[in-house]
Amino acid sequence: MKKLTSMLLLLIAISVSYQSQAAEDDKPFAEERIVLQISDPDPFKQTLVLNVATNLVKHYGPDKVDIEIVAFGPGLRLMFKDNVNSNRINGLTNSGVKFAACKNTIAGMTKILGQAPVLHSSAIPVSAGVVRIIELENQGFKLIKP
Amino acid sequence: MNKNKKLLVKAIGAALLTCGSTVQAANWLMLQGTEPTDQAARAKLWGFVQVQYQKDNSDANASGGYIPPKLIGPNLSEQDQFNVNRARIGVRGTGLPLDSNVNYFFLAEFGNNGITNPGDRNVRITDASVTLNHIPGARIRTGLFKTPGSEEGLQAIHVFDYINFTTVTNQLLLERFPNDNGAFESQSNNAPISKPSPTGIGAFDQSVGAFRDTGIQVFDTFKVDKWEHSYAAMVGNGNGLNFGNADGFYDKYLYWSSELVYGGKGGRREGLKMFAWAQSGKRLLDSTDDSTYNPTTHDRDRSGLGVKYLQKPFRVSAEYMQGEGMIFVGQDKSTFDVNGPATPTGNGADGEANGYYLEGGYYIPGTKWEIDLRYDVYNRLTNDTPFPAGAPAPVAGKTLEFKFETVTLGAQYHINKKTRVNMEVSDRTFEAVDFSAGAGPNANLDGVNMRYAVQLTHIF
Repeated sequence: MKKLTSMLLLLIAISVSYQSQAAEDDKPFAEERIVLQISDPDPFKQTLVLNVATNLVKHYGPDKVDIEIVAFGPGLRLMFKDNVNSNRINGLTNSGVKFAACKNTIAGMTKILGQAPVLHSSAIPVSAGVVRIIELENQGFKLIKP
Repeated sequence: MNKNKKLLVKAIGAALLTCGSTVQAANWLMLQGTEPTDQAARAKLWGFVQVQYQKDNSDANASGGYIPPKLIGPNLSEQDQFNVNRARIGVRGTGLPLDSNVNYFFLAEFGNNGITNPGDRNVRITDASVTLNHIPGARIRTGLFKTPGSEEGLQAIHVFDYINFTTVTNQLLLERFPNDNGAFESQSNNAPISKPSPTGIGAFDQSVGAFRDTGIQVFDTFKVDKWEHSYAAMVGNGNGLNFGNADGFYDKYLYWSSELVYGGKGGRREGLKMFAWAQSGKRLLDSTDDSTYNPTTHDRDRSGLGVKYLQKPFRVSAEYMQGEGMIFVGQDKSTFDVNGPATPTGNGADGEANGYYLEGGYYIPGTKWEIDLRYDVYNRLTNDTPFPAGAPAPVAGKTLEFKFETVTLGAQYHINKKTRVNMEVSDRTFEAVDFSAGAGPNANLDGVNMRYAVQLTHIF
């Protein structure tokens, strides 16, 4: 019984570990892993970061590059639901690009606006944008800030 | 709810959801009145400069005098000159970048043209507006801005394909406001001048309307598949660039366009656009040249419809316009009814006019060149009352209806995305239709000849 329980626990541990690995490795054939930072208020930077993501997907192919765009500070405007680039974001999401939105920034903007900003459906809230970048760098992602 | 009703509700919902959200392209209502959603800067500084040289080859009349069509505006003192005809600087954006529902637009003119030259103004505010984008399908723009109307007037002047407006736009739509001398309106009719003239022949001391008004506009754009439908409804003071409502009346403006969008973005987006517009207002005019201010009320109605096709390398556009009331009768006259109530002939205050243009452009592939060709016609005072039969010759029994016909051949060289050179030559035939060659007004108009112009535009 003890042996069975131990084996069961080991199996669960392996399964959890595999799932968390899989979540981070949902592009197992990726040759490059890139995190793109957008934190500027400059409107041109929104276009630039999406252009860089598009060019990376085009160059490597959707399965060979793992890209996550992390938005925080004034750059979080890129993640607003009605952003003029929302169609481009849809397209990049379909190509496997991920979008992270900083919860700290969301909280700050909520205070200013009096209500939480409505984000694009592709935006995944993360506790802190800069922490997310550090996590991704630790996982081998290369940071590019266009 | 049955299936058809459900579909209809879905379609309306989808249309409302897509109204204006990402639609920014060659749609002047949106380009000038709104900012890119959630992308606009707090304050984007921008502007443009247009420097030009124009030369008119018209001949003097028999006495050596020159009338306004033979002189270079706005100074109207010579037949050739260099000019900084536009130098505008502005700022636009969204005051609180987190809230795209509010944006603003401000622009001022420092150049020498019909806005600043009358009355010797050094600078004039041309635009100062705030747009509220809170209501789906009904954006609200308030302040001083371009009125929804003809394509030549509504489009951004710094991307206009020609140097000079068509005659129909210049005379029928670009409103001149009578001089305000307090007790009465001067009815000066300046005689042809010899050149060079230290003062010029222009009789107006008010800025032209510049296709603008101060008021409130409701507008938006709806995207349905590849079609983009836009509307605008505006109420304004009817006072051009002047603040305040001088006459107590309000002008109304309506506009509709439908465009099949092919692609591209910005002011040169490709598509097939059809549009129609109407403007209706009233003006006060004192037509009696005496010391009593006793104005009468006159309608000022304008309307038009047109089409514009742009798919590189070709561009074709055409527009028909008509107007009733407050018909401008020349820069040498400071009002609209120079002869007064006693002589109805030449009365622009109650006059009618119409005109049209047909133009095209060809962007030469693989080069930075494009060539342009335009034909425009303006018929002024088509309802004019003839001079009495007993009037002296040659005017007896004749009207002061005029026809202005112009063929313009142009070329543009795009130095870069923000800088281009325009060159054009205009072949003009102007005549008073009831008079034979050399008689009456044709004694001056027969000498109207070719005009050459070159202009450098730089946008920053």
